[in-house]
Amino acid sequence: MSAETQDRYIETKAQLSRLFQSVEASLNGESSHPFHAFRRQAMDKLQDLSFPTRRDEDWKYTSLNRLLVNEYGHQAAPKLEEGQLAPFVIGGEEVIQLVFVNGTWNKELSRLSAKPDFLVVMELKHALADPQYKTLIEAEWTQWALASDSALVAMNMAFAQSGLFVHIPANKVLENPIHCIHIHTKTDKPQLTSPQMFVVAGKSSQLTVVDSFVSLDADAVYFSNIVNRFVLEPNAVVYHYKLQNEALEAFQINHTEALVKRDGNFSSFVLDLGGRIVRNNISAFLGDSGTHTNLFGVYLGKGEQHIDSQTFIDHAFPHCTSNELYKGILTDRANGVFNGKVMVHKDAQKTNAYQQNSSLVLSERAQMDTKPQLEIFADDVRCSHGATIGQLDESSVFYLKSRGFNDEQARSMLQHAFLIEVLEHIHLDEVREKAEALVFAKFDS
Amino acid sequence: MLSIQNLHANIDDKQILKGINLEIKAGEVHAIMGPNGSGKSTLANVLAGREEYEVTEGSVTFMGKDLLDMEVDERSLAGLFLAFQYPVEIPGVSMSNFLKTIVNNRRTAKGLEELKAPEMLKLLREKIDLVDMDHGMLKRFLNEGFSGGEKKRNEMLQMALMEPKLAILDETDSGLDIDALRIVADAVNKLRSKDRSFLIVTHYQRLLNYIVPDFIHVLYNGRIVKSGTKDLAFELEERGYDWVKEEFGAASV
Ligand SMILES: Nc1ncnc2c1ncn2[C@@H]1O[C@H](COP(=O)(O)OP(=O)(O)OP(=O)(O)O)[C@@H](O)[C@H]1O
Ligand SMILES: [Mg+2]
Repeated sequence: MSAETQDRYIETKAQLSRLFQSVEASLNGESSHPFHAFRRQAMDKLQDLSFPTRRDEDWKYTSLNRLLVNEYGHQAAPKLEEGQLAPFVIGGEEVIQLVFVNGTWNKELSRLSAKPDFLVVMELKHALADPQYKTLIEAEWTQWALASDSALVAMNMAFAQSGLFVHIPANKVLENPIHCIHIHTKTDKPQLTSPQMFVVAGKSSQLTVVDSFVSLDADAVYFSNIVNRFVLEPNAVVYHYKLQNEALEAFQINHTEALVKRDGNFSSFVLDLGGRIVRNNISAFLGDSGTHTNLFGVYLGKGEQHIDSQTFIDHAFPHCTSNELYKGILTDRANGVFNGKVMVHKDAQKTNAYQQNSSLVLSERAQMDTKPQLEIFADDVRCSHGATIGQLDESSVFYLKSRGFNDEQARSMLQHAFLIEVLEHIHLDEVREKAEALVFAKFDS
Repeated sequence: MLSIQNLHANIDDKQILKGINLEIKAGEVHAIMGPNGSGKSTLANVLAGREEYEVTEGSVTFMGKDLLDMEVDERSLAGLFLAFQYPVEIPGVSMSNFLKTIVNNRRTAKGLEELKAPEMLKLLREKIDLVDMDHGMLKRFLNEGFSGGEKKRNEMLQMALMEPKLAILDETDSGLDIDALRIVADAVNKLRSKDRSFLIVTHYQRLLNYIVPDFIHVLYNGRIVKSGTKDLAFELEERGYDWVKEEFGAASV
């Protein structure tokens, strides 16, 4: 580690310490709450951990410097009108809509009318103080977080504002999604927000969570440092969608983990359109046999954007399947990174794992680094992986133009066509339509 | 309608077209025959504006305008249509989106409003029926997994929607069974009119029983070496191209 980098991050920690104290000072009576005690523990932990640098293999292409040199502030979230939400809304009354403004849950703008009684949606803070959930939260969230060696996870926990706890009991099905809209606005100092969500899906239950990350101000600068954890009890089905359209100077780090128990079915879909530096760490731990995991991703980079997706699927038990498809388009001077690790342990016989990453790189200065990694220690498995990096097929462009499409129309249709293969995996129509509209808007911008 | 003068074209510095002269008047049907590799597809692609081919000499006028100066899409909107010998497959582009865009682009270019959904659907279905395809094809991706015959019929469908002034058919009849061949011929014959012309590239006299051409040209080694009426096709079918090669091969080496 170079002395310069180390110094920088030491200063970062000191700065985060000051920020923590100033947040703490504004808490009044809440500072003795168990949730804050946990935040303090996380803050202590953060001091002992190192932020990753480009010397770490998994961070080779992404530097945190830009994110960590900022002096972050905290200020009260602004009031918003319902009309300001309109562009981000998905579906109607049937959707449970939770709105977070600069990291704080805005109850007025949220809509829980569609929430069935069986579904628990509450702040983690309250869940931790609730005798019914305390043990579960401690075992599967706070202890889990404190055991992590990621400085970014510790940082999220230390600065958590309105963490979300979702619990769907056994055998219940939520047909319509829970839609979390994370809105950011421009603030005096860059804002650090720490969205977090802990989802427990009971045996044979099913639910869908959609996270939209958006900004009201195109020039807002902020850092969303996200942590999500899903625990799928046996035979549960969970779909998680991240539709990321942050401001173009914003940063996002997304740490999402799933623990999938016997016969569970977990799908993660990540759409990355916005942000200056975006990093995903998505991991699925297959905790028993018979599980299925889907990891899908679409990324579109323009200008100076940097979008990095690290995924990990841990096949530790036999008879599990996983399917991973990431596709993206990079132009201007944008950078893309894909590092997909699939680990098939010795005992994970009959594993069926498929992984593919394909990118279109449309300008000379855009770049894609891709590294599919399949590590197989079992002998009776079906695994395949591949990566391609290419340009638009000029014969196809010519074909469309010969039918009267202008150059832009032809290229935009082919780019969209390239992504369709992934977008069509979005299982709810209204979510897919939203994702497609966002993709189209990005092509046109 | 189309006037080609002394057209020379290269690909990768290799000369393929070596001085083509051809006049096509409104309402005429011309057929081009010739052995493999003689430059038929090259001519078709140069006319459609494919950039890999470099025009080194000569000129082409289409509807009074300098064709070689026009963009590919401009040529199309001006009424030039090419049915490809090998249409590309484009997974991810739905047939319905593709065909709708074709129709609306043409309408916009003519200053007309875009078609409303029900009228659009009616139009598309009518033309799909014309080439005897299943309406379900609208949901498929462009040419993806289409059989050879389906691809060719799809080209005819696009031609019918585009109502071109000049349609160039590059071996649209190759590899078709007799039913598909009749469909292709019908699609052409339905469009024949006194102000629409066709340039039909084929290897087989059979097609010309269904679409009777006004003129037949033999393209050999980048030049039109012989022109005549439909009887020439019978002669070529019977005698093959060896006599053409013997007669003209020596001169060009
Ligand atoms: N992309 C290319 N690169 C190099 N040579 C090419 C290319 N395309 C065509 N050619 C060459 O140009 C010549 C003419 O090809 P063209 O396809 O025009 O022939 P054709 O008359 O259409 O033949 P066919 O009857 O087989 O369709 C051939 O010698 C061919 O090999
Ligand atoms: Mg040819």
